[in-house]
Amino acid sequence: MQQLADRLIDTGFLQGLPRGLGYVIVVALFAFLMLNFIMLVAGVTSWLERRVWARIQSRIGPNRVGPQGSIQWLADGIKNIMKEDIVPSAADAPLFRFAPYLAMMGFFGAFAVVPFGDGLIVADINIGVLYVSAVTALVVVGILMAGWSSNNKWALLGGIRSAAQIISYEIPAALAVLTVVLFTGTLSMQGIIRAQGWAPWNWFLFHNPFTFVAFFLFFVSALAEGNRTPFDLPEAESELVAGAFTEYSGLRSLLFFLVEWGNLYLIGAICTTLFLGGWQVPAFTDSGLVLGLAQVLTFFLKAYFLVFVAMWVRGTLPRVRVDQLMTLCWKYLVPIAFVNMILAAFFAAILPNGSIFVKAGMCVFGLGLAVHFFQRVLFHLRRAKPELHLSPIV
Amino acid sequence: MSHAIDIDLHREGPGGLETEEMTLNMGPQHPSTHGVLRFVVKADGEVMRRAIPDIGYLHRSIEKIAEKVGYHGFMPYTDRVDYVSAMQCNQGWAMACEKLAGIEVPRRGEYCRVIASEFGRIASHLISVGATGMDMGAITPFTHAIREREYINDILEELCGARLTFNYMRIGGCAWDLPPGFAKRAIAYLDRFEPLIDEYDELISFNKIYVERLANVAPITAERAISWNLVGPNLRGSGVRYDVRRDVPYSAYPEFEFDVPVGTGERGTLGDCYDRYMVRMREIRQSCRILRQALEGIPAGPVVAKVPRTFKPAPGAVHVRVEASRGDMGWFAVSDGTAFPVRVHIRTGSYAAMAAIEELSKGLMIADLVAVIASLDIVAPEVDR
Amino acid sequence: MGYFENIRESVRTIFEGMAITASHMVRKPYTVQYPDRIDVRVQDTLPFRYRGLLDVDLEICTGCLACERACPIDCIVIDAEKDKETREMVLKRFDIDLAKCMFCGLCSEPCPTGSIHHTPEFEGADYSLESMIRRFVKAPVVAYKPSKGPETNPEIAPILKRGLRYLDEFASPGGAS
Repeated sequence: MQQLADRLIDTGFLQGLPRGLGYVIVVALFAFLMLNFIMLVAGVTSWLERRVWARIQSRIGPNRVGPQGSIQWLADGIKNIMKEDIVPSAADAPLFRFAPYLAMMGFFGAFAVVPFGDGLIVADINIGVLYVSAVTALVVVGILMAGWSSNNKWALLGGIRSAAQIISYEIPAALAVLTVVLFTGTLSMQGIIRAQGWAPWNWFLFHNPFTFVAFFLFFVSALAEGNRTPFDLPEAESELVAGAFTEYSGLRSLLFFLVEWGNLYLIGAICTTLFLGGWQVPAFTDSGLVLGLAQVLTFFLKAYFLVFVAMWVRGTLPRVRVDQLMTLCWKYLVPIAFVNMILAAFFAAILPNGSIFVKAGMCVFGLGLAVHFFQRVLFHLRRAKPELHLSPIV
Repeated sequence: MSHAIDIDLHREGPGGLETEEMTLNMGPQHPSTHGVLRFVVKADGEVMRRAIPDIGYLHRSIEKIAEKVGYHGFMPYTDRVDYVSAMQCNQGWAMACEKLAGIEVPRRGEYCRVIASEFGRIASHLISVGATGMDMGAITPFTHAIREREYINDILEELCGARLTFNYMRIGGCAWDLPPGFAKRAIAYLDRFEPLIDEYDELISFNKIYVERLANVAPITAERAISWNLVGPNLRGSGVRYDVRRDVPYSAYPEFEFDVPVGTGERGTLGDCYDRYMVRMREIRQSCRILRQALEGIPAGPVVAKVPRTFKPAPGAVHVRVEASRGDMGWFAVSDGTAFPVRVHIRTGSYAAMAAIEELSKGLMIADLVAVIASLDIVAPEVDR
Repeated sequence: MGYFENIRESVRTIFEGMAITASHMVRKPYTVQYPDRIDVRVQDTLPFRYRGLLDVDLEICTGCLACERACPIDCIVIDAEKDKETREMVLKRFDIDLAKCMFCGLCSEPCPTGSIHHTPEFEGADYSLESMIRRFVKAPVVAYKPSKGPETNPEIAPILKRGLRYLDEFASPGGAS
């Protein structure tokens, strides 16, 4: 991004400004653009999640505001902004007010290293992946602060659950990331993407069995870090009312939800970067602009597919209990991730560039899984003999 | 209602830290206390020391109302005793009155009652298993269960004109005969419904997370279940094969073939939450079986006996029991020969189950309390009446 | 259960669950978009026995007070007097408090002509309790007197036919009364 800023200051519309001020302006501009993008994505995700969820549950979902209810999220946002911002009298008011912004900061900061395309990244720092796991951990401070300052016992329980959960699941997530890093040798987000290709057999997902396992480990851990079902304990509705967010209302509660849905996209983006080849597209044209757009679109679609999977998981699974959450993390995910990483290290030592046979085998395996899955879907459809409605438009 | 709570609030934690027990107030507006229940939860972090149920938020003096409205007029009120499965409450009251006056119900009337009751049982168990799923955090099974319940409500609406408070049965039989073509439509529905039970099982009952959440949670041994006076699926979940329909036969039940499913401890301990849940799932299948037999073999004839409009049974006291969705429901009625009963008492399954929670909850997680409430299938109006 | 058995079972059951939810994504939603986006009014799809808001056909009301007696919550109030000169029942008041009514159907059962009956209407919300009281008698009317043979009055015959059809649905309850 520095190059872009330099170019703008040297030749662009910021000509003549002092370099420092120019940088500040460019950064502020980027932050503004990014914030709006995230808001939009989070909003649309909230609508889409409700629609996907509704279809899973034989319902329709929001379909009144705008075509197919597509601006429902805007209406909800406006409603939330106009609502009274209540601070409970017993709450620790400054902390209570500050907590949502802290959570927001943590998750928004991570978008600085999300690569949307070749060169389309706010800051391609050389420790990109590490930065993501460090910065997203800030969310936990926000949630814990919200839980504590609400002075509500349910909120406190939710906050503490969240802290334990996010800190624990950092470990398998980091180990899964390391498995990939073993093959790339770089922590830079762009570097990881450049180590992959546009075709599925060049993705790290199908690179070898260990990265394949690492993908699922990372996805599960990321769901847990993002407080998503089946790990939505901090706001477990049937147990803790609304968990850490019980006392929040209006805009502040909206910010927490924004974090949740925004986080979903972040999970998708990081997974795409690490395992699904990021923005890689075949060089089908010479036009840089068209290629750039194709890259952005590819990245967005891949990330959004994972967002869709997360929604779908939410529509399927029940929630784990607190002790089971810890059991899953420390007895299953962490050992598996360690063993997986060590085996991957051996693999990397033997075949540092991977093997075409292993890649082909993994692709066939993946395809087989998909076919089997499709068969099961057909089996359930045949057994229940329902009326079909294939269109997403109702 | 006040409770004497004497637990030492301060104690030494690990490392000499003084920890304090937390008192949580779960309900009456908590999302997972079905209806308006309240629990005073004494918790040590996530672990409960005990959960003390506080009842009475839904008390409507239904038993007293019976003394004011007479025998015929009390029938709609019985719908409100357990509004999740009102049919069996209807049947209990009708049977109590018939026993008081010595009225014989026509056979077709008994079949109609069985059909209505079993549909009601399926609908009620669907709510129960769906709500268990929802309390475990999976909303989809709940909506699927509610969807099927709506279809059953459609069928019952066709039969008796209401979806929730049926008021279908009368003293001496039923108010309405089956509408034309009812049996065909009901069987067609069952044909569609039964594969969905399998699907439901695969979606949630066998789900590993779900099994882990329910198995080994709050097991009740058969002896304790009996001494706590648990009835219905809660008792059968503990492995006691007792079903009023089979052991104290009433209505047309002796004419049907059905199994009484009991808990087997298949995934954990005998009598845990998962067993109680699975007993309900299996009872849904058994109800379908009874329904098929009843719908196919329904005899011709009247559905209601001749009962005078001013119903004045002979003086005396009776007790009848029906197998309601929440177990053995006892109806006790005392008549003094006038048009109004002197005393009516209803013994419900949820009340006993509610009393068991305090013991069961010791040492469980807060999340488990939700599982226990859901698996005991407590319906607040039935507790308070 | 062993460690790996646990993993295997988790993966298998979650896979199966995901397949089921995926199959639901292409099924037809069951939602009825009441009240505006439906083809047929819900009221028209309800079964004949549906117990909605009560209605009274005063033309065939005999003023026998059977419904008032049957009502367990006394939401029906009828003032009927025998006119000394004409020896006819005169209905002065026939009020049903729909705010109290619990739609149990016990009133329509003993009605000899099917005058008081449930309609499929259920949209009874209103702004005040007072307006929930349906006052059917605007001015005192003479109660209907059943004729010996079939009804001949062309104005009343169709109403009576409807009323008797309504009664036919009941499985001859009570019998003697």
